[in-house]
Amino acid sequence: MLIPWLILALELSGEHDKELARRLQRREPGAMDDLYKKYGKLAYSIIFAVVRDTGVAEDLAQETFLRVWTRIQAFEAGRGALGPWLLAIARNRAIDHVRSSGARMGRGTVELDSNAHPSLFVDLDRQIFDKDHAKVVRAAIAKLGDNQREVIRLAYYEGLSQTEMADKLGQPLGTVKTWVRSALKVLRAELGQEAAA
Amino acid sequence: MTCEELKPEYGAYALGIAEGEEKYEIAAHLASQCVECVAGVRSAMSTVAAMSGAVEMVDPPARLRRRVLAMVAPVSDSWMPAWVPWAVSGVMAVGLLGVVLVPTLLQRPQATSKLEQALSILNDPVTRDVSFGEPAARGRVFVSKNKGVVFIAANLPKLAAGRTFQLWVIPTQGNPISAGTFRGETDSSAVYVRPGPIADVAAMALTMEPEGGSPQPTMTPFVVTKL
Repeated sequence: MLIPWLILALELSGEHDKELARRLQRREPGAMDDLYKKYGKLAYSIIFAVVRDTGVAEDLAQETFLRVWTRIQAFEAGRGALGPWLLAIARNRAIDHVRSSGARMGRGTVELDSNAHPSLFVDLDRQIFDKDHAKVVRAAIAKLGDNQREVIRLAYYEGLSQTEMADKLGQPLGTVKTWVRSALKVLRAELGQEAAA
Repeated sequence: MTCEELKPEYGAYALGIAEGEEKYEIAAHLASQCVECVAGVRSAMSTVAAMSGAVEMVDPPARLRRRVLAMVAPVSDSWMPAWVPWAVSGVMAVGLLGVVLVPTLLQRPQATSKLEQALSILNDPVTRDVSFGEPAARGRVFVSKNKGVVFIAANLPKLAAGRTFQLWVIPTQGNPISAGTFRGETDSSAVYVRPGPIADVAAMALTMEPEGGSPQPTMTPFVVTKL
């Protein structure tokens, strides 16, 4: 079963997540349970897609919620997008694990948390949630060339740096960077997002 | 670097695959609330967030919810919350101690000294850590030759009356050296800290011994972690 993005999106853009973030900040009983009920399966699925190990995915999913709990005070509930922030933490935890278990730390790929500050998830484009998103994303990925699709896969699911991808694919770094940029450009266009890079 | 120079790397940054100077430059621009870079990275973040829409859904085990909720439950009277061994027995020990245990335990004066000892060991750059998953217990041990040992376990066997757990340093040569005794928690978990330098350690082992400990192990260790 694929993610019911339309439903998720409507909730993401509504008041529910904002109120949930406020409840988490107030440490209200039941707030964490509500957060888990809403995002637990999705966060676990994203992590599992990267680590492919149920035990590790369980640990990392737990850590994801723990990190949200400990950092929620930095989250601006009135403007934030709680779901995308949590999901970014989930993926980052998974990628960090794959990197560390593969002895890849120290090759220019330090912990990912710096790119998951809550403020970066403020004012996310709502339009990306206005469609049956799984189909849209799959269709967008299908429009990528083979090389573009491969670098996106290596980046998204394996967290390889562009240097590592160049080594793995036996291509110049500049070529890999071009593939990554062009792939993201295609995805942005297909997802109906404004090109910003 | 200028925003224009960094612009091509926004996507890589959002994917978490940026590296080198560009990565740190973008982070610096974001930290300084650079309007152009914040907007560009946010946009790229939305693309990456959208990509998770194609991930196949997998049902998590039912216990995951219990674990998540246990993390934020009120702490018990023991020096660490009951969920700690559960939480740190997998892949998250060091970061967890940093983000959660410190604020939690600093509210408990009796735990501060032990916490400081544990953090001193965990923060030593030369500290090695090994996970173990024996049939009788699972957990993780951190060993710093300069600072000491932190031993974290769950699912420990039940101690008989008059018995205690005893941790051993197994040197590369010679007999085991006691690293101290502990009894653990009522939920069969334990977090034990043994401060002080440790030289020549090839493995750590755990046995059950008579109260007060033994000069040498009196049973085959039920946990042995090679370092």
